[in-house]
Amino acid sequence: MARSSSLQFDGAAPAGSAVPELRLPRLAEQLLSWRWVALAVLIVGWFVYYPIIDNFRVSTTTQDIFTGEVQHVGLENYARLAGDPVVLTALFNNLAYAVLSIVFQVFGAFVLASIIEDIASHRMRNLWRAIYFIPSAISTTVTGLLFYFIYQPDIGILDGLLTAAGLGGWSRAWLGDQSTAIYAVIAMSQWQGFGYSTLLFTIAIQKIPRDLYDAARMDGAGPLRQLWSVTLPMTREMTGMMIIVTITGAFQVFNEVMVMTSGGPNNSSQVLGTWLYQMGFSQNEMGYAAAIGSLIFAVTMACGLAQLWHTRRRRVAA
Amino acid sequence: MTRKTTIAALLAAGTALAPAMVPAQAADPAAEVDYSGTLTILTKFGMQRLQPYFTDLAAQYEEMHPDVSIELIQEDDDSIKGKTSTLVASNSIPDIFFSWTGTWGGNFVRGNRAADLTAVIGPDTDWGRTFAPAAVDAFVYNGRNYGIPLYLDAKFMGYSKPIFDAAGVGVPATFGELLSACDAIKAAGYLPVSFGNKEPWAGLHYLGQLLAYNVPRDVLEADFDPATATYDDPGYAAALEQFAAFEDRCTIGPDVNGVSYQTAIQQLSDGKSAMYYQEIIEFDSAARPDTALTADQFGFFALPAPADAAGDPMALEGAPEGYMISSASDNIPLAIDFMKFATSPGHARTLSAPPYGQPSAVVGGGDPETMNPSVVAGLDDIAEASYLVPWLDTVNHPRVAAAWLSEFQGFAGGTSSAEDVMEAVRKAAASVAN
Repeated sequence: MARSSSLQFDGAAPAGSAVPELRLPRLAEQLLSWRWVALAVLIVGWFVYYPIIDNFRVSTTTQDIFTGEVQHVGLENYARLAGDPVVLTALFNNLAYAVLSIVFQVFGAFVLASIIEDIASHRMRNLWRAIYFIPSAISTTVTGLLFYFIYQPDIGILDGLLTAAGLGGWSRAWLGDQSTAIYAVIAMSQWQGFGYSTLLFTIAIQKIPRDLYDAARMDGAGPLRQLWSVTLPMTREMTGMMIIVTITGAFQVFNEVMVMTSGGPNNSSQVLGTWLYQMGFSQNEMGYAAAIGSLIFAVTMACGLAQLWHTRRRRVAA
Repeated sequence: MTRKTTIAALLAAGTALAPAMVPAQAADPAAEVDYSGTLTILTKFGMQRLQPYFTDLAAQYEEMHPDVSIELIQEDDDSIKGKTSTLVASNSIPDIFFSWTGTWGGNFVRGNRAADLTAVIGPDTDWGRTFAPAAVDAFVYNGRNYGIPLYLDAKFMGYSKPIFDAAGVGVPATFGELLSACDAIKAAGYLPVSFGNKEPWAGLHYLGQLLAYNVPRDVLEADFDPATATYDDPGYAAALEQFAAFEDRCTIGPDVNGVSYQTAIQQLSDGKSAMYYQEIIEFDSAARPDTALTADQFGFFALPAPADAAGDPMALEGAPEGYMISSASDNIPLAIDFMKFATSPGHARTLSAPPYGQPSAVVGGGDPETMNPSVVAGLDDIAEASYLVPWLDTVNHPRVAAAWLSEFQGFAGGTSSAEDVMEAVRKAAASVAN
């Protein structure tokens, strides 16, 4: 490469060296180093940060997708958000999704992974991992259809089982009842996501040195004590990360609800994602939909920051 | 799609795509056709039974015009609204796209998204004369023609003749007789009416017909417009009360919200229910050679009007459905030529006959020899109807339609009262008017 006139000598040439060493000015050097990441920054900026900023801009307008008319309304959409009863329902449903997912997909999966990893036979361990993972490999649409048939009133498998068990009084239209619709969707989601979380925990458990279990056994610790005193502390980082990822995922849930109830009956199973979709694409209220998008962003951003804080705290503690 | 990508896609769609510039009409519809290029078509024939119709049309047209390529996007009843809105928001509306009549179609006219077709399908045009005049008129906005009607649609109660015979009931002439027939059918051990309201528009179809019977037409039409809507006619409460009685005596009750409309129609086809309230375009799928209920065992009647109802007892819920051409299309004459091809007498007869069973809007577009006799008879009823009341979810402003859909689903589920429904609708109309 030809050296330009902007290059400067940096002090005297080393002894015995025929050509003095050339160095770029510090700022130019830093700027040049950006060329390696410029493309990545551009892509991330355009596809991640620009939509976030533009979403906020859109949320301060009302837009008609058919006419293209835009009116600036300031923070009116956010005021409407605060008074929208469906948003409150959706927030509650997202929260219920998060809590139940933590119970089943984090703590339930942790216990199950511990049990599986305690099985002596390698072949059986693999078999159980595969059995629990299979639901995660099925598409949400197919799972939704499957559970629709399970939940059907009168002729569904669930009501059939309840009736056979003498609990016919409990049978109901699980997806058609406002008090159960969201929980029926959450239950399906747990069935589908449980195996994936279990697999992640088995990987974390496999990394725990066997010596620790041997030492615990020599100290007289039984399986429960080993789970509490060895497995749980040694997988704490994975557990913490899973909790945060699960909460974030719960506030971004969309497909499961859309496939099974579309937010009904009477908006009782709406989550923020489906309400955003309905506002934007069914009711032609793109500005308000963008405000709902900002709310989702704020919640998931808070979860992301918590994750960062948790990771840093762990590093400092280590 | 993962949750993160879904939300990202929603955000992206809701931001970068929304402030779309509305294009002006690109070409003269009556100009000479250039048989080259690509045509994109968004259809509502996404169901497996209906898909081959447009697929075959496209293949035939491409064979006739080798320089033309046709790309089909086939959606169904549930997905078409969302798909269309997404395409509009991203300024990617296909050359030819499905539209209902009423406010839904009016959105495309209001936004200059639909090409003005008056010169080719308007009054006194050769092509326009080939259609049933009422069907063409249904797509007239501001005195101009914007749509090409493809088929006629209306709602009827389909029933199983063997179950009616087993229960010893005849075709009910009044709403009261229908309720009594339900009691008799239930006593005979059958489900009187299979009804799935998981998709809330299914229940709204019942209400639309009952409103036409109970609310005078001029009041109803004034209420369709948020600017003049009052929703204070006592016919609304009467219609809701009638629906509640119907749901209680004829269906599985509030659990209907957990059943999809497809399951419900299947129950009629399987001989498990005596009746299913369906569109004429579903007659051929309800009773087929491979279903327990065969075509000759299938009968239908209009939902009977309640005695002394204040509205129009001869009204029928339904509307033609058709296609519009994008004003932004690069080749509007070619798109029109394709639709002329699709609505030619031969293709109209194919559309009207099984397995499609979509009664063509073309005059003489159905051959009684090849069509399902029930569809032929249904067309006669449509012709005799004094007023075709449009679907509540497409004739109303989207916000008002959403209020009807959600609150009426709550009413069907027993969690909302008639007052709750009307209050929600009134509030939605007022918020639009303001």
